[in-house]
Amino acid sequence: MRPPQLFAPALLLLAASFAHAAWDFDDGSISVVAKQSGDSIKEKQVALLNPKAPLSKPVSLGSTSTLKLSLTAKDNGKGKRPHQAFLVLQEQESGLKAPFPLTVKENGKAAAQISQKDIPIQLLNAAKPLKASIVLASFGSSEGFNAPVFNVKIEADPAVPLSAYERPLRYGKKPEIHHIFRPDPKSPPKVVSLFFALAVVATLPALFIGWIFLGANLNHLSKAIGAAPLSHATFFGSIVAMEFVFFMYYTSWNLFQTLPVIGAVAVITLLSGTKALGEVQRRRLAGER
Amino acid sequence: MRSLFSLCLFLLAAVVSAVSTSGNRLLVILDDVADKANYSKFLADLEGRGFQLSFETPKSESLTLFHLGERTYDHVIFFPIKTKGLGPNLTPNILVDFLNAKGNILLAISSGIATPNSLVSLLAELDIQLPADRTGLVVDHFNYDASSAPEKHDVLLLPPPGRLRPDIKDFFGAGAGSNEVLAFSRGVGAVLGTGELLTPILRAPRTAYSYNPKEQAEVVDDLFAAGEQLALVTAFQARNSARLTLLGSAEMLQDTWFDAEVTKPSATGGRKAKTFNREFAKRVSGWTFNEIGVLRVNWIEHRLDEPGNSASNETNPKIYRIKNNVKYTISLSEYAWTNWEPFTLPSDDDALQLEFSMLSPFHRLELTPETARSTPESTAYTVHFRLPDQHGIFNFKVNYKRPFLSNVEEKNTVSVRHMAHDEWPRSFAISGAWPWIAGIGVTVAGWLAFCAVWMYSAPPLTDKGETKKTQ
Repeated sequence: MRPPQLFAPALLLLAASFAHAAWDFDDGSISVVAKQSGDSIKEKQVALLNPKAPLSKPVSLGSTSTLKLSLTAKDNGKGKRPHQAFLVLQEQESGLKAPFPLTVKENGKAAAQISQKDIPIQLLNAAKPLKASIVLASFGSSEGFNAPVFNVKIEADPAVPLSAYERPLRYGKKPEIHHIFRPDPKSPPKVVSLFFALAVVATLPALFIGWIFLGANLNHLSKAIGAAPLSHATFFGSIVAMEFVFFMYYTSWNLFQTLPVIGAVAVITLLSGTKALGEVQRRRLAGER
Repeated sequence: MRSLFSLCLFLLAAVVSAVSTSGNRLLVILDDVADKANYSKFLADLEGRGFQLSFETPKSESLTLFHLGERTYDHVIFFPIKTKGLGPNLTPNILVDFLNAKGNILLAISSGIATPNSLVSLLAELDIQLPADRTGLVVDHFNYDASSAPEKHDVLLLPPPGRLRPDIKDFFGAGAGSNEVLAFSRGVGAVLGTGELLTPILRAPRTAYSYNPKEQAEVVDDLFAAGEQLALVTAFQARNSARLTLLGSAEMLQDTWFDAEVTKPSATGGRKAKTFNREFAKRVSGWTFNEIGVLRVNWIEHRLDEPGNSASNETNPKIYRIKNNVKYTISLSEYAWTNWEPFTLPSDDDALQLEFSMLSPFHRLELTPETARSTPESTAYTVHFRLPDQHGIFNFKVNYKRPFLSNVEEKNTVSVRHMAHDEWPRSFAISGAWPWIAGIGVTVAGWLAFCAVWMYSAPPLTDKGETKKTQ
């Protein structure tokens, strides 16, 4: 009974170390190889990666340069090949991600090369630097490694225009549209209209004064009424009535109400007019006009 | 007595068929009918909701989806099938015809069993891409079930899905407890095209990836997809509101994963959790078979809305005039498992919109609920607006298409005429016309005065007291 009890703490310790087995990496470094005009290859920007903390400064990736990543994956301190070894680039605003599998050797040495043409267009157009994480994990009980290690800033080539990314159609609310009405017709200021209306009205008294100045009068009215009272009253009355019909047409009647009334008034005008105007002619022949 | 009996029978039939809005004839296609024992709880749940289940294998001679041009089933479930082809009765063409005839399909596939070519072609038609070689396995070394897959990590534990977008209703994960997870066991992930008809119900976690267990057991050289690009459960709703759901893991529906207990990996606490699979399976099948997320237009009404115009009480007139004030009302209901409920918008970010359009919309306005005309099973949405100052043939159009909700596309055509000659403002109301009206008045008065003077004027007296005219 004693030996198992003695074993128990050792077993526990073993189990604990087993549970803490985790993936990690070592010797991580990134370098950006820029291909200049011609064949001269210039290497610059080498940085060592720390699995515990991401690089403080973003790495910039030009349109012709290539980002090279190399590291050694370790399971519990020993170099080993994980099944999942990805470099994941993430756009910080939308959270879109693009995974790049690393090529891993048996001893855990892993490498990847990324240039701008490998990166999806949605990420290329990002305003902020892309967040690059490394994911190392495999089957079994070892805990996986997943942490951001550096940031990549995409340097767009000013000579090449940015290819626009068109968002795919998604069903949802559309922007509101309110019809813009044509402007209402405008009138000049009322004062102006009123002034000209009064000017027009003022011509009527001017006309009457002119006539009176030339000697116009109504002195034969009693004579004419006396000679042909009915026909004169009807004739003048029918002229006034015709104007009234036109007024009614302007205010309320329609054409089919107006036309019969015009016909009736016109007949009356014609019949009474022959008599009344005959009387006027007789006055003229009598030398009274 | 006999009529009473038939009435009872009719009522009973009405109650039974009330389960889904589009019929209850459900065809279950299995590799071997004996396999249904694995899914007994899921199938019993379906039967309990009123579906009439028929079981067939693809080899069956009598299996046919259409008879004399009519659908023989309303819904179809495919469980994993081992054969490479599905025979002449289930070609991709027939399955597309079935969708076109408003039939619904629930497609459950599994990683262990290569998906038949017919189904792969059907999915390709819908822009859903499965891994090459018709097989793939989704694993996640960060979220797996430590009790059933501590080595292989192929049983994923996922939180129930939340809202896909802030303006979409959460049909599938709502109400799940904090300690409930979905167990996605030995499943296949798909990559979706960019079409608007496809919607992922459940996406893979960020660290998940898909690989080919036969060829990529050692190293993943060619990655099919990873992270949230992988759709584990996918919804497709056609323009005619027919639905197809792709369930990446058929084992999700098996009895072993219903109300099972799983263990989270030690890195994330190692706590025990219950599976949400049974409720999720109910909701996914319910959505696919038109038990939830179905909208119905009860009535549409539009009428003149001019102040003090009592003569304009006609509803849905054929003709309006430009610049008329108009009121449009539409009544909508949403089906929720057993009954119709008033439809409410999923969130404030969404809007029910009315377009008043001739070729292109002139107005696109938000409709608001009108409580006075809503009932316990419908909501009336209304909007008041002024017709544009353009005559022609216009449409009142409500085009409400949202993921997970059946499509509403309603079009009512009306003529809009221009102003009649006597509908303009009178000329005396227009100040610019005053000089012209005064001119007419002056002319009339002048004419009458002229007539009087011409007829009744005596010749003017000369200085000698004689008339001028006597020469």
